[in-house]
Amino acid sequence: MEILFYVFSFIAIFSALMVVTMRNPLTSALYLILCFFAIAGFYIILNMQFLAVMQILVYAGAIMVLVVLVIMLLNLSDIKSFKSNLHQVFIGILISVIMFAEIFFYISKGIQKKPVGIFTHALIKKIGNTQIIGEFLFTKYIFPFEIASILLFVAIIGAYLFAKKKF
Amino acid sequence: MNDYLIVASAIFCIGALGVLTRKNLIIIFMSLELMFNAANLGFVAVSDYLHLINGDIFVIFVMVVAAAEAAVALGIAIAFFREKGTIDIDKANELKY
Repeated sequence: MEILFYVFSFIAIFSALMVVTMRNPLTSALYLILCFFAIAGFYIILNMQFLAVMQILVYAGAIMVLVVLVIMLLNLSDIKSFKSNLHQVFIGILISVIMFAEIFFYISKGIQKKPVGIFTHALIKKIGNTQIIGEFLFTKYIFPFEIASILLFVAIIGAYLFAKKKF
Repeated sequence: MNDYLIVASAIFCIGALGVLTRKNLIIIFMSLELMFNAANLGFVAVSDYLHLINGDIFVIFVMVVAAAEAAVALGIAIAFFREKGTIDIDKANELKY
């Protein structure tokens, strides 16, 4: 498990770096799919196989197909040749490095809380993670679930209105 | 748990770097997706450590919001490209004057 964790974290961080540094949008889209698969691997290590499958289905299967389709529709040779402002790049690197250092110190200085819930690995394995998620989703979280369906409906209408020829 | 949180924060910072430095609308959108995924990984790691299930439920809702956001953002990208003929975000300056 330890080795798998290091392999997945190396793949995830490397492909995330490639996403933000590649010039061609299609290459970075493919690296982003690789990063999603590495994160799905993390979910499997963390005993949430249902979320791993959802990650691959929703992110790699639906969202990235949409992104690649839009890259295909837009003119790629036109998109490639933006040059970034060097000053902006410097400040961006500074901001993200300092932010990472702050989060790192915050995590390493903090005191770890004791586990509070009852869903240990053994219980999740015994009941099955899909059943637990389904029970929570349809009893305690039923209201956010319905709200999410309304949100998806609004998003369909919004995407249609934006992509229409005239407003 | 700490290792997962450090990996998640590294991915989040890389995504923030992409949002701050790139000019391409599609790549900015993909960096946003990267940040969403880092937050999801943090949720799952913490709820695994605390033996809770709430974080895993929240990840599903984040995925729903990300899918809706993808549809709307790519619609905006197409409308912007139709208007300007490019997706360089520096060209989006009509509200400036």
